[in-house]
Formats: sequence, C-alpha cells, structure tokens
Amino acid sequence: MKRLAALLFGLSLVLPSLALAQEGEEEDKGAFISEEWELHEWIPIHLGPIDMSINKAVAYLLLGALCSCLIGIVLMRVKVGRGPTRRQALGETIYEVAQVQVAEQGLPTHAIGRWFPYVASLMVFIWTVNMLGFIPLPLSDESVTIAGVELPTLAIFAATSTLSVTLALALMTFVFTHVEGIRANGSWNYFKSWIPEVPKVMYPLIIPLEILGQFMRLISLSVRLYANMLAGHMLILTFVGLIIVLENVFLAIVAVPAAAIFYLFEVLIVVSIQAYIFAALSAIYIGSAIEPEH
Amino acid sequence: MLSSYFFLAAVDDGADAGKAIALALGIGLGALGAGVGIGNIFGSMIQAVARQPELRGELLGIQWLGFALTEAVVFYGLIGGLLAYVLV
Repeated sequence: MKRLAALLFGLSLVLPSLALAQEGEEEDKGAFISEEWELHEWIPIHLGPIDMSINKAVAYLLLGALCSCLIGIVLMRVKVGRGPTRRQALGETIYEVAQVQVAEQGLPTHAIGRWFPYVASLMVFIWTVNMLGFIPLPLSDESVTIAGVELPTLAIFAATSTLSVTLALALMTFVFTHVEGIRANGSWNYFKSWIPEVPKVMYPLIIPLEILGQFMRLISLSVRLYANMLAGHMLILTFVGLIIVLENVFLAIVAVPAAAIFYLFEVLIVVSIQAYIFAALSAIYIGSAIEPEH
Repeated sequence: MLSSYFFLAAVDDGADAGKAIALALGIGLGALGAGVGIGNIFGSMIQAVARQPELRGELLGIQWLGFALTEAVVFYGLIGGLLAYVLV
C-alpha cells in the first residue's frame, strides 16, 4: 500500500512537465527539456559588473537554506517533554551519520570540534537542496492560466544541477583545505607534504602532477554533484518527453513508469549519497591537509 | 547554452552526426568503465560480508563512498560528450 502510494506520488510528479511541451515548435519539439536549465532574471540586481540577480536557481537556494535551517532547529533544537519522540530520533540519526560516517572518517580527532559544524551543515544543506529538486514547486518561468488567474506551473529543478552552485560549494572546501593546512603545518611544510617521497629524478614529473591533482579535486568535487543531479533530472524529463517528441500517446505506458522508476532511484539513493559523499570528501580533504601522511 | 541536443532523430548533416556520435561515445564508454568498477565494488562487498558479517556496518560507508566515486565516471563522460556537442 505504501509502495503503491509512493509510485502514484512519483507519477503525479512527472506529469506536470507534460504541460510544458505543448508549445514546442515544429523542428525542435524536445527543446523544453534544455529550456528547463535556462535561468532568467526575476529580480535584476547588478552591482557594477557583478550580476547578483535573483533567478530560479537563487530562489531554490534561498528556499533550501531556509529549509535546512528549519530542519536543524525543529529536529535538534526544539525541546520536547519527557521521553524521546520520533522527531528527536530522526535528529539524532542525522547527527550520528554526520558524526560517525562523515566527521570521524575524515577529520583527525582534535579538528572535529572545529570542522564538524562545516561538514554537517554541508551535508544537511546539500541534501535539502537536492531533495527540493525532486519536489514539484510552483517556481518556474512557465505559467498557466486557471480561471483567469495566472499561476506558475509546477516544475522540478534542483539548484545543484547548475555548475555555479556546486562550484561555489567546492571552492569553499578548497579554500578551507589550504587555509587549514597552512595554519596547522606552516606554509613550507604544508606545500612540501604535497610531494610524495620519490627519487629526485622523478620530481619534474611528479610536482606538476601533484599540483594539478589539487585542482582536479575542485573539478571532481563540483562536477560529481552537478552532473548527478543534471543527469537525474534529464533522464526523468527525457522519458516523459519521448511521448511528445515521438508524438505517440501509447508510449506513456512504457515511458511514465520508467520515469517514475528513475525518480524513485534518484530520491531514495542518489540524493542522500551525493550529500553524504560531498560532506565526506570535504572532511577527508580538510583532514588530510591538517595531518599529512608524512 | 545547452541547446537542443535531444533531437538526434533529426540529424541531417555530417557535423550533427559527428556530434551525436561524440555524445553517445562519451556516455557509453564512461558507463562501460563505471559498470566494471561498480560491479567490482559490490562483488568485493559481498565477499567481505560473507567472510566477516560483523564488519557490515563499517564496510557500508566505505562501499557507498566507492560507489559514488566510481559512478561519477559516467558523468565525466556525459559532460565530455555534452561539451563536444555544444561547443564544437
């Protein structure tokens, strides 16, 4: 019964995107899929050359920040009467995952106090933003007129499926890693610890590779999250979009369940794993900068 | 930016066909590597738990870490394919 309800819920989520497809042009019938990632300025804010406009991704991020604050406050701060409740148990589970699986795995013991708040809030925030990406919200550029009132259509869009967002998160970890590494070891010792112990002949080959490796972390950290969320949304939209592209209603028998399966896979597995991975890797990077192996 | 790369059915000239092949190869080869890797991870996990069932809890975290790191390979392929499709 629960499973059936979940499946129906999933189906109801992929249906709104059908409405988007009706105005496609003749030769570009599926363009509505890539248009989902076009960001239009809603409230233009330009500070000189810096574009700080509020667009769809910013709105989702603000909503995500609000929701993760609420999760933290409601699950962990609000005191209850006597006896543990389900809410408290959920809060403790989140805390335990952040503590045991993320912080203790990557950070050295004396650094947990300082960096646990960062990795834990990273985990909760990314999970919330990812999860908001799979809940249809009336935040989109399209609008539909119902009984004379113009309402935005329901759409699924994750702020983490834009590269700028994930790159900003990865840059924070990148900066903290090196600042903390220099603070703990001194700059000379820290940069020396990048280079493994190899014969001196190998240095011209190893040193550029190790320096490149530090920057590749930035790319891998940001692209992993970005591409996972992008591909997840695209798969769902493509399967539903096949009905419109190939102009065959009976494809819905295959396409909609396939989209629902991908939806459930993303929601149940990918969303949580990506949040966990991002936080765990941040902890490992910061931890390995504080205590280099040699 | 991400122009319509879904309409490969409408490919009619050589350049578009080349882009389509690049996109498909990027994802396909990425998926090939990740398939082998993920199979390896879960295979080893089954073996490890079969030998020492009491370590299951500790191994789970490592398993998912490895899974996500390996799975990301597909998406590097996807991004490479998309770049080839959009930029060229």
